[in-house]
Amino acid sequence: MRRRAVFWSRAVLVVALVTAASAVAAFEFQPYGRGSFAELRKAHAGKPLVVHFWSVTCAPCLAELPDWARVAHTKNSFDLLFVNADHEGDRARARMRLEKAGLQGATHYAFADDFVERLYFEADSAWRGELPFTALISAEGRLVTIIGAIDDPEIAKWIGGAERK
Amino acid sequence: MKRLAFAAALLCAAAARAENAPAAGPMDHAKAPACLESKPQCAATAEPAFAKDGRLWLAYSVGDSIYAAASTDKGKSFAPATLVAKSSGGVIDANGEARPKIIALPDGPIVVSYTTRPEKSYSGSVFLTRSTDGGKSFSAPQKLLEDDGQRFDVFALSPRGRLYMAWLDKADAEKAKAEGKSFAGSGVAVAWSNDGGATFAGKKILMDHSCECCRVGAAFDRDGQPVFVWRHVFDDNVRDHYAAKLSADGATLAGGRVSEDQWATTCPHHGPSISIDAAGAWHIVWFARGKARQGLFYAVSRDGGKSFSAPEKFGDDAHAPSHAYILAAKDGLHRVWKEFDGETTRILQQVSRDNGASWSAPASAAETKNASDHPLLLERKGASYLSWLTKDEGYRLLPLARAAAAAPRHTRAAQIEAGAR
Repeated sequence: MRRRAVFWSRAVLVVALVTAASAVAAFEFQPYGRGSFAELRKAHAGKPLVVHFWSVTCAPCLAELPDWARVAHTKNSFDLLFVNADHEGDRARARMRLEKAGLQGATHYAFADDFVERLYFEADSAWRGELPFTALISAEGRLVTIIGAIDDPEIAKWIGGAERK
Repeated sequence: MKRLAFAAALLCAAAARAENAPAAGPMDHAKAPACLESKPQCAATAEPAFAKDGRLWLAYSVGDSIYAAASTDKGKSFAPATLVAKSSGGVIDANGEARPKIIALPDGPIVVSYTTRPEKSYSGSVFLTRSTDGGKSFSAPQKLLEDDGQRFDVFALSPRGRLYMAWLDKADAEKAKAEGKSFAGSGVAVAWSNDGGATFAGKKILMDHSCECCRVGAAFDRDGQPVFVWRHVFDDNVRDHYAAKLSADGATLAGGRVSEDQWATTCPHHGPSISIDAAGAWHIVWFARGKARQGLFYAVSRDGGKSFSAPEKFGDDAHAPSHAYILAAKDGLHRVWKEFDGETTRILQQVSRDNGASWSAPASAAETKNASDHPLLLERKGASYLSWLTKDEGYRLLPLARAAAAAPRHTRAAQIEAGAR
């Protein structure tokens, strides 16, 4: 009887540890709000930076997440950040999509401010929230933004150029 | 590129169905909504409708609840809201493009529609509920269709009192997917009610291949038939606009392409707006970022959608003009839109007294320095109003300033020339 109790207590402990480990392994969405774009540029100054904005409601975004995963898994000379532009209510879907694409190991931000016009404007004053949207920032701080897919010639050229450095 | 565009189109069809979503992690930093009360100010969007008795009704959602609230002083104050429905699991569509809708019928009933999406899927369901006691209580919500796959529903009440609905429907896309065929976008479906929203007939997809992330616009032609406008998926995944009128027997939609903007592949989340004047001219405003043109545009069809005028650009490109809405009212043809200068969001307005040939100079109607809904227009007894919900100021119903009419006019030719530059 006592042996059985010990077995169960150990089993519970193992389950608890596994649960805790998977909780630690789950990635975080860091908050993206007013000023975040400038802060990220500052934090990554001196090194090329790619910031990719996407949404679970954007089919082209979802179609190319595996392509972005391949970029993320390559040793790059640029830093790569992802920003989910969905409302908080869609965070579970966003997490699922990223995990499915193999992007759980990347650095992820998510909109944490409903003043979205401002978030768009800070990245590009002409951006109205269309997706996918990618900001390419050179080591010298030159910013180019692209509304379009990852195989947009500008993105391909820029990423390729950065990779060759 | 083409292959990716095709894959994107395929995924457009599939995006409505996701699976196996884990629960949101406790580490998410996104802030919880600060305001969970039943008042309009706690909502992100509010849909207005005037009732015959002059009350202004708003439908909106807060958390998992849909509310209706009435104002007897044109939006300055609202009586305590009535709980219309609670989502029985799933997320309520409540954004600028897709939100709970309300319509007050002339003979009394108030009808509310809303769309929910399951936690793990984008396959939405449209629900309908109605009040026959002046908004004191609402009936148990009923699904518009048995199957899932509907979103972006819109109401339109005809001059003869028939209530129409249109929505974007994934049924044909799902059928194609099950047969292993490719399918771009959603379908445009229409239904109508002759008994004040109690039951709906029709409920059919009448045209396939609409874009699936933008609102549908609706208005009535002179013969009382509804005209709808939506972002359509043309060849090569080009997502430009199409406007079409429902036939008298409700069996077909017939119209034409509004413009050739040549916008491919991206998700605009930015739907059009339509209004039809007493002469039967279809006035349409929309946003494009195509190869052919970028920005906000206006065009009119004076032959029932067979042809459209050259797109006329409006709005200040330096301030990201967006989400235009148009209303042909007795006091003029009005258009409003949003602009943002980095600090302040403004609603700009223009009025045309000659059915779209010329417009007043843009004037600021309202502004805010925080989050806001899309601007909407509605008419009551010949007067036009701007309906706008903002996070800081709450709900506002603003009579469109007649001063705009006195402002210097821009000729249509000059505006087209400016748009071409």
